[in-house]
Amino acid sequence: MAGGGGFVEAEAIIARIETKSTKIESLLKQYKPVEALKTALEGSPPKTLDERCKSANWIVVHRALMAIKDIEGMLNALDVEYYDILMKYLYRGLSTGDRPTCDQCLKIHEKLTERAGLGCILRCLTDTLNTV
Amino acid sequence: MANPLRLYLACIKNTLEAAMCLQNFPCQEVERHNKPEVELKTSPELLLNPVLICRNEAEKCLIETSINSLRISLKVKQADELENILTKKFLRFLSMRAEAFQVLRRKPVQGYDISFLITNYHCEEMQKQKLIDFIIQFMEDIEKEISELKISVNTRGRLVATEFLKQFM
Repeated sequence: MAGGGGFVEAEAIIARIETKSTKIESLLKQYKPVEALKTALEGSPPKTLDERCKSANWIVVHRALMAIKDIEGMLNALDVEYYDILMKYLYRGLSTGDRPTCDQCLKIHEKLTERAGLGCILRCLTDTLNTV
Repeated sequence: MANPLRLYLACIKNTLEAAMCLQNFPCQEVERHNKPEVELKTSPELLLNPVLICRNEAEKCLIETSINSLRISLKVKQADELENILTKKFLRFLSMRAEAFQVLRRKPVQGYDISFLITNYHCEEMQKQKLIDFIIQFMEDIEKEISELKISVNTRGRLVATEFLKQFM
């Protein structure tokens, strides 16, 4: 029963991610990459174990991240509570090995560490419950 | 290019500074034993999330932490066959003398070229910042060493060939 319930939830989450991705596409077309990233990070599935939800959300966040040109401005606009989630997605981006993704993630990582400090990195390492 | 390399090393440095929080932790399963938990991976509560930092498709760095030990595995860029052989031989040479380095692992982790194992004892004897600086310096120097070796192999090959072919002129 828990499995069945989990399945239904996963479908619901994926549907939500689909709507989010269309919203983000439209924001990117309007040249608002910061807003797009905020939307992408907002609905991050917190405790899903389903790999598909995580992959789907990662694709959406990746799209928004690659569109960011002004990193300082983006970090200024982003709330502090999103720093941890952003750092987790940065590490996921760095593990892909794809050159442009890694370049972008490395740039954002440096600036984000300056702002958020080592505690942010440590929270990513220790948080085994809410992985992205 | 220097800039992506600098960012890559800065990222690894920050991650290592955060991850190198080691303390003594005697083995939970066996009495009076003290083992580096990152190597055994028997208890999931003692392990942190492993982190993979890639610079591009060829170079990456895997950092795995646990409560009393930290393992760093590096994969060095190898552009062609010659660099492949040189890297393998050079890093095997260093790994066999792991005793002298103290923090080096005798065998690299599967899929990587060289691995470091840092335990809480190392952190007690040596300074954390200096350990991190050592690893970053190591990564910078490896690249320079490999390219120097490659140049010297090519030069030697060219000299030998010229000398040998002179007798036929």
